[in-house]
Amino acid sequence: MPPQPVHKRVHPRGVFSRFKGNIEAITIGVKFFFNPERSTLIYPKEYIKLKDGYRGFIVLIKDKCINCGSCARICPAAAMKLIRLPFTDPKTGRTRMKLWPVINYNRCIFCGYCVDVCPTEALYHVPYHDVVWDTMEEAETDLEKFQKPPEWKTEKEGIPVRYVFDEKKGLVKVRVEGEE
Amino acid sequence: MSGFVRGSVGYNDLGLPGMWTRRIGKDVYEVFIGPQHPGSGHTRIIIWVDGDIIVDSEIDMGYVHRTMEKLSEGRQWIKAIPLFERMAIHDACNVTLPYVRAVEKLLDVEPPERASYLRVLLCEINRIAAFLYGFGIFGVFLGHSTMYMWPFGDREVWVELAEWLTGARLTHTYPVFGGVRRDVPAGFTDALRKAIRYMRRRLEDYRKIFVDNPVIRSRLEGVGVIPKKIAVELGITGPNLRASGVEYDVRMNHPYEVYDRLDFEIPVFEEGDAYARVLQRVEEIKQSLRILEQVADWLDKHEKTPIMAEKFWKTAPPLYKKVFQEQGRVKLPATFAIMKVPAGKAYERGETARGEISYYVESNGANKPYRVRIHSPSARNAIVFKYILPGHRVMDLPAIYGSIDYFPPEADR
Repeated sequence: MPPQPVHKRVHPRGVFSRFKGNIEAITIGVKFFFNPERSTLIYPKEYIKLKDGYRGFIVLIKDKCINCGSCARICPAAAMKLIRLPFTDPKTGRTRMKLWPVINYNRCIFCGYCVDVCPTEALYHVPYHDVVWDTMEEAETDLEKFQKPPEWKTEKEGIPVRYVFDEKKGLVKVRVEGEE
Repeated sequence: MSGFVRGSVGYNDLGLPGMWTRRIGKDVYEVFIGPQHPGSGHTRIIIWVDGDIIVDSEIDMGYVHRTMEKLSEGRQWIKAIPLFERMAIHDACNVTLPYVRAVEKLLDVEPPERASYLRVLLCEINRIAAFLYGFGIFGVFLGHSTMYMWPFGDREVWVELAEWLTGARLTHTYPVFGGVRRDVPAGFTDALRKAIRYMRRRLEDYRKIFVDNPVIRSRLEGVGVIPKKIAVELGITGPNLRASGVEYDVRMNHPYEVYDRLDFEIPVFEEGDAYARVLQRVEEIKQSLRILEQVADWLDKHEKTPIMAEKFWKTAPPLYKKVFQEQGRVKLPATFAIMKVPAGKAYERGETARGEISYYVESNGANKPYRVRIHSPSARNAIVFKYILPGHRVMDLPAIYGSIDYFPPEADR
């Protein structure tokens, strides 16, 4: 059934509407004063353990990479670049120059196109993106650095929490325990 | 210059801190509000005041202009999607969907039914989140800080849902040519239903503390009235137009995706004042919740089928299908990066939270767009500030500004 327009009017003010409105507003204000619904994250004391599938930092599995360059080609922010490095084939023992992807997190917008376009699943997301680098150079990766997830200091110092959906309170902060 | 003194740059005849004011004539002053004023966003409103009454006004747009249309001509088709999202990042799916649909028209592909439902799902989640964002800003404009905190807190529910579905809180980059990028994760529809029930209950709280609050009613009723005829003449759009009594919604008049199969109402208010625009948005949230309920039912009833168009999915290697089965993630065909779109012209429109957005896309057969013209809703609504503000008091400016839900980054593109 297609959508239909429905004409409505602003409900007019009654005789006691001003009185009633004030009472209602004050009542609900008092209610939430004594019984507040808070879901504030005390970061970095607590941190959110994000769900699988979150588009965080990107890591390369070098063994799976077939040097096709699709990731660099589809990158909308030109964060992924190809560098030319020698590669020795373990089967034949011959050394050839090959193109390998590296990423510059100064430019990355975490759209995840590279992960989705990789034909061999050689790239994957880690579910976090709160890492601080001191200099801009540190945010750039070389081939070695690109194969390891960036160091996540928040995890070492904070308490993992997760937000779950609740009918009464919207989001409820729950401590994550006994995982991994 | 001997050091910067606050408010000393330019002219400041009234001595207001941080604001440019100039005396024009007897009792008439020119006041610049913005572009960095917390109340005006990234735009500048110039008003001429006689005492407390605004006698004339002008809006000075373009402070956050990023040459988006031109930038899109220099990048491949798919790379323009994350670019256009930057117009309104909290309304990302609604803003990019017409572009995706226009290119699909040129490519002659149709998204599968499930992908259409998923698009509608994220569109409505985005719409609710954008309305709540607007309410928060509106609340703080009127000095109602509770209405600032509550919608921003509740918006987190919808942002969290969108993150679960797409993997990113705001810039989802969810619809792509031929379909969408992710299927719903397990347990998503249950969480969605919980969020819907929570939001329904919460709207009642909003009504008590904000909408029916006599203080708010006194400040909004009869303020910034846009009569039906003027609304049509000025060409304003979206909830602002419907609050003035015009039955126009792209979802109803030019249905796209699966909107014509869903059962919902287009609320229309007659009054056209700031208070009617508030109620309009409350009613639209209710209708969006109704749509989401139906989409959740549909997703529960139908099993997982491919969410990418047959044209791209039939050549997908086994690994792609395995990833989709296991993780619900669509792997993009490698041709997307260098895809050439057949020459032609396409025009598509969609309804965002702020109104009608339209894209005119022209291709000359290359792997980049020849021209993309965007007509965004906030750019159309901005004209209100020139014609509706005069005659009001300065105090009414934040009330009108907030009720229009003007979003400068979207207007300036």
